[in-house]
Amino acid sequence: MAGKTYWLTNVRLETGYQYEKGLVTGTDTEQFHVRIENGTIKEIVSVDKPLITDLPIKDANNFLMLPSFRDMHIHLDKTYYSGPWKAPTIPSKGIITRLEEEEELLPRQLPVAAERAKNLLDLLLRAGSTHIRTHCNVDPIIGLNNLEATLQAMEAYKGKASVEVVAFPQHGILRSQSVSLVREALQNGASLVGGVDPASLDGNIEKSLQTVMELAVEANANIDLHIHDPGHLGIFTFKRLAALTEEAGWQGKVTISHALALADISFEEVTEVAEILAHQGISITSSVPIGKTIPIPLLQKKGVNVSLGDDSITDHWSPFGKGDSLEKAGMLAERFSLSDERSLGQTLGYITGGITPLNTEGEQIWPKVGDHADFVFVDTSCSAEAVARRASRIAVFYKGNLVVGAL
Amino acid sequence: MSSGYWLTNVTLETGYQMENDAITGTKTKQNHLFIQDGKIEKILPALESIKDNLPQKDAKGLLALPSFVEKHCHLDKTLLGDRWRSVTSVNSIFKRLEIEKKVLPNLETTTQERAEKLLNNYLTTGVTHVRTHVDIYPEVGLKNLVEVKKALQTFDGKLSHEIVAFPQHGLLRSNAKHLVREALRQGVNYVGGVDPATVDGDIETSLHQMVELAVEGNAGIDLHLHDADYLGVYTMKKLAQLTKEAGLQDKVAISHAFGLGDIPLSQVEEIAETLADAGITIITSVPINRKFPPIGLLREKGVATAIGCDNIFDVWSPFGNGDILERAGRLAEVSGWVDERSLSQTLSFITDDKAPLDPHGKQVWPRVGDDASIVFVEASCSAEAVARRAKRVTTIYKGEVVSGSLGLHEK
Repeated sequence: MAGKTYWLTNVRLETGYQYEKGLVTGTDTEQFHVRIENGTIKEIVSVDKPLITDLPIKDANNFLMLPSFRDMHIHLDKTYYSGPWKAPTIPSKGIITRLEEEEELLPRQLPVAAERAKNLLDLLLRAGSTHIRTHCNVDPIIGLNNLEATLQAMEAYKGKASVEVVAFPQHGILRSQSVSLVREALQNGASLVGGVDPASLDGNIEKSLQTVMELAVEANANIDLHIHDPGHLGIFTFKRLAALTEEAGWQGKVTISHALALADISFEEVTEVAEILAHQGISITSSVPIGKTIPIPLLQKKGVNVSLGDDSITDHWSPFGKGDSLEKAGMLAERFSLSDERSLGQTLGYITGGITPLNTEGEQIWPKVGDHADFVFVDTSCSAEAVARRASRIAVFYKGNLVVGAL
Repeated sequence: MSSGYWLTNVTLETGYQMENDAITGTKTKQNHLFIQDGKIEKILPALESIKDNLPQKDAKGLLALPSFVEKHCHLDKTLLGDRWRSVTSVNSIFKRLEIEKKVLPNLETTTQERAEKLLNNYLTTGVTHVRTHVDIYPEVGLKNLVEVKKALQTFDGKLSHEIVAFPQHGLLRSNAKHLVREALRQGVNYVGGVDPATVDGDIETSLHQMVELAVEGNAGIDLHLHDADYLGVYTMKKLAQLTKEAGLQDKVAISHAFGLGDIPLSQVEEIAETLADAGITIITSVPINRKFPPIGLLREKGVATAIGCDNIFDVWSPFGNGDILERAGRLAEVSGWVDERSLSQTLSFITDDKAPLDPHGKQVWPRVGDDASIVFVEASCSAEAVARRAKRVTTIYKGEVVSGSLGLHEK
């Protein structure tokens, strides 16, 4: 449908905050007609002016338009989703139990991996996510087979969502001697270098981080590492990663997923680490685990770019996970008591790559002419309500094309 | 006595699957249940054919769970059905009370309408019993109680309820004793209260008045206790003592009991004995923005425990959707209960302790003679229902379909 031009009529957009005694008490919205051309927003006009056009028209029926969502951490290749129910076992040896399970589980699941990945992509898309970062196992057990399954699923959703794949040596890039596999994955469809716990899994922080960095530089790829290591062990790892990032000139290209250590340290220490991360443009992705949550609003305030991801959606690691980024944003807001209109509305930015219809001053900053036509229509009055009340999704657009739902 | 009907092809859990001494799943079987006068009168294996000509409703293999109990809500506070509004930031509970006092009476919708909206939400999500607190304070008098009772009347025969007369502005602080007494005379079942220390400023007098009112009105007690750490724990101990003195064992609940979330687990174990001994129930809404009591430990130590949603879109919180099964899943997630048994046992927090299987995997629900209050879900077992927030298909209260539908095959 490239090149297709049409009008979306009666689109509700946020235009500013309502104030009472200097406090934001609500959000103003107005209706617009929006012209889409070549996957881009080309024109935005008020409904007050009559629309005279020969172009096709889709009526948005006054539903609120929000930027579409990003699920920045998921494992499409390992899910049980759409398969039979199975609870995780009790992990008597912690993460090692899970890794041992994979030796038997991954080969057994391989025949259904692509199908389940597709079903999970469908779930994410229906929830309004049009950009997805998936960590795909690359290890001696499964080789590049899960990558192949993931790529198959992606192919089926081409044109509906953008999916980026992290080559993820789940069993430790050093521990499972997966360097060459990761390299191969990067040449075959994966675009980021992954990793997990350089200390507790690889047993050699420095070598693990350097290996990751070398692979990234060699392939000109970004990095996204799972770091669960707690307390000052994790913090030390972040600091080393920041130093290597600077040395390699890899600023803005590195993400730490989970970064659980940030939940273990004092406010002052978080502030200090946040400044280091922000300085190197190192992002953080969190699944907002409700048992142990890192101080996300504080990190963001200190200039760290924080995104959210769903992580496990029922697999041998966790039986939970709903695949709904908006629900995740609501969880974040509830977790940090972000209950007022502005805080709730701004929470949306965690699941949109920072895009919110209004900035903190209430100025309309999205959508603008020239923006990608990636958006979701929700049955709600404003962003704040969408986040707090988990608004129902009506239709999802990616590059100007309706990919889910109907208008 | 009515002639009754058959619920056919009902999936029931029968035990845990074991592999090398570990639970790996849940076994189920299909059954036909004969329902008469609101009770489950017979349970037949689905392989046996039904020999009478009584009506049949086909559950089509859906899993039956005991219908759910919402143990803590405020039917008079929800904004459901009214327009969106976020929460105004305040720095004290007293300012919040002033806001609520102004906002609620000036809404375009009535208390009854909003309460009915929430009650309907409960039915569709599988709840057939609700304990609601109702604000009682001088400015509002018994008005909210009247409205909530009207709403509950609308749902008569669809769910059961208990009402707590809740002096939200402080039993002592707002001098609400006579109003609570009047509410009890009008059939309210529980004396409520809130933070005898920080709201009323006099723990002992506040608790004494509550107990007096309860004894006088032959009622129970359900106290909102947010007071932190040892302040909260002191209040709990005091209430336990008064409960025993007044002979109110098993009729007293403490909602929130945040203090228990603030102290070392070894001390929780100690006070758990006191609470269990006094028959005091701990009710939690599983908040994620602050510490809350270690519910699993309390239950292990013999304390009765339950979950309630509490705030469901009101002037206190913009969150909450009234889905108690989702709240049970949250408790499991926050507690790290991920294995089959832990997940399936989590159900008992929202069913008055009636999980289909006991912790050893013995089938304990349903039994012949049990109330036919059932929710049918799209899940293979309780564990999946809890972890995956299973879709609720049909809710049955005392034999009547009160939400959703089941294929009715008249013979």
